[in-house]
Amino acid sequence: MSAGRTLRLIGYVTWFNVRMLLVSEFFVLLTFISPLIFATLAFFLFRLGHGGSGQTLLYAALGSGMMGVWSTTLFGCGGAIAWQRWEGTLELLVNAPTRYDFILAGQTFGAVIFGFYGIVTTIVWGMVLFGMPLQATFPLVLPLSLFAAVISLGALGMLIATLFVLYRHANALGNLLEYPIWLVAGLLVPLTRLPDWIQPVSWVLAPTWGMEAIRGATLGDAPPWLAIGMCVVLAGAYYVLARVVLVYVLDKARRDASLALR
Amino acid sequence: MTGDLASLSHAPTRPGSASAEAPAIEAIDLVRIYHTHVGVIRRRPLDVEAVRGVTFDVRPGELFGLLGPNGAGKTTTIKMLITLLLPTSGSARVMGFDVVRETTEVRRRIGYVFGGDRGLYDRVSGLDNLRYFAELYGVDPRQRDRRIAALLELVGLTGREKEKVEGYSRGMRQRLHIARGLLHDPEVIFMDEPSIGLDPIGARELRQTVRSLVDAGKTVLLTTHYMFEADALCDRIAVINDGHIVASGTGSDLKSAVLNRTIVEIETFGVAPEAIDRLRRDPEVIAVNTEERDQSQILLIQSERGPEITQRLLGSLGDTRVGKVVAREPTLEDAYVHLIASTSSTDGADRAAALG
Ligand SMILES: Nc1ncnc2c1ncn2[C@@H]1O[C@H](COP(=O)(O)OP(=O)(O)OP(=O)(O)O)[C@@H](O)[C@H]1O
Ligand SMILES: [Mg+2]
Repeated sequence: MSAGRTLRLIGYVTWFNVRMLLVSEFFVLLTFISPLIFATLAFFLFRLGHGGSGQTLLYAALGSGMMGVWSTTLFGCGGAIAWQRWEGTLELLVNAPTRYDFILAGQTFGAVIFGFYGIVTTIVWGMVLFGMPLQATFPLVLPLSLFAAVISLGALGMLIATLFVLYRHANALGNLLEYPIWLVAGLLVPLTRLPDWIQPVSWVLAPTWGMEAIRGATLGDAPPWLAIGMCVVLAGAYYVLARVVLVYVLDKARRDASLALR
Repeated sequence: MTGDLASLSHAPTRPGSASAEAPAIEAIDLVRIYHTHVGVIRRRPLDVEAVRGVTFDVRPGELFGLLGPNGAGKTTTIKMLITLLLPTSGSARVMGFDVVRETTEVRRRIGYVFGGDRGLYDRVSGLDNLRYFAELYGVDPRQRDRRIAALLELVGLTGREKEKVEGYSRGMRQRLHIARGLLHDPEVIFMDEPSIGLDPIGARELRQTVRSLVDAGKTVLLTTHYMFEADALCDRIAVINDGHIVASGTGSDLKSAVLNRTIVEIETFGVAPEAIDRLRRDPEVIAVNTEERDQSQILLIQSERGPEITQRLLGSLGDTRVGKVVAREPTLEDAYVHLIASTSSTDGADRAAALG
């Protein structure tokens, strides 16, 4: 398949999955409503603490939005394969002449991009209700930051998706991953406030660098090149791992007949 | 469900061309064992031998039926042929490509349609479903919409394609499945119980559609529970039971097994097992099958004698209450029931060899 066709395929699947999530009440709630609640809480807390400068409000809004992105990534990608199995479409996707990892990539990017809609609504919420200013110190770098954050989270989503099929219990475990990552990735509290021993964990997490890249471009003093670079490197690493797991999972599925739900 | 399918095909397989000699589908001694567990707390491993050495081939342009009762191994066989399941042993080729190793080549050339409600995205429209799968099946974007329109026409969904699938009836879903399976103009089409859940008219339309696929040069393998459906549609039929092919051939070949027999149907109310045993011991009775109805049981008694045996049979039933009694010629359904009953593991699977 040509590179153009591959990109078109991934793009189409991404778009299709954004639409599928838009008609799901659970994800709409998860992505749009919960960040608003977090952001509102954060705005009030920051107001109490620091008198609530515009910068801190934006900091909190981006953090809350990113919390929503992470939740959507975790549940949207973690359930991606299991959910297709329930719908009875997994066999059809795997049986298509197209490489399944491209299809899966489209699905996880769909979930991540859908999650980013939540950031937009959070910012609008902050502007309208709390008079938060919309500013960016490096407006030209911001699209790059967003792109880097999306691909690293999307690739992490693929890894999550494949691991969750491999270990069926992972789904329950996955629920436990929601809140800790908010903390460890520094979404609401700056990383420097966390104990030193946690830092190495933060460094291998896409949300950490994605957040850093976005905040750097909006609130930072210097362009966040390191964070953007780390996003790209992590995306590559996650993708390679995800592919290894996926090849194994698909092979196992053909042996164990686990693609269909019976 | 009508429409000109020939115009949908880029390259129909021409009967008599060089490829006509090589089978479109070739299964050689396919075996599939499922390893599962029983019990929740103390899980014990259990091996299910779903397919136990199935061999057959399907010629290009042929409509081949795989017929058998629940759990016979039809779906398992199909899943091995379409690369979704690995055979435990044996091998198979589709259009000359090995289903274990050359999966992409096989997948490009096959369509897969299954019966039932699942396998569609309910919350978007039928058209969205088709466009999505067209993308996954690598349909040329410039031809996509034309192809989808032609397929909608073929399956009779034109005008309904913008509605959400969750509002579709069973029959509409089934047609959408068929359109989906044909998007990439596959040479070989596998249909697993495509008529399940369809009303008689829907089922008849489906048969017309399937027939038109074959007329357009496609090879079709379909499974069904219904003998009459297999007979009405298929060029050749293989009857599968307990993972074995117990008979194969044309509809009339299968029927010849019961050709010279008489079927006596006796409606009874509360027939005792001993009475049935007495019938079975009658030297002129070949087989007795029972069908449970709401209030009654229908005994289907096969014998090589003519209708004159009826009195004697009624005598053997003693004081059992009897309703309608009919003596008639055997139908395909009888041939099927006979094949299945005589080859089920409970009454001796070794008779399968004699019949096969
Ligand atoms: N994934 C699985 N795990 C364990 N056993 C299975 C699995 N799939 C099928 N079986 C068993 O294998 C046997 C054959 O099943 P299969 O689905 O191939 O039958 P079938 O002919 O398609 O039946 P039906 O007409 O009911 O669809 C059955 O005994 C079934 O219980
Ligand atoms: Mg089946």
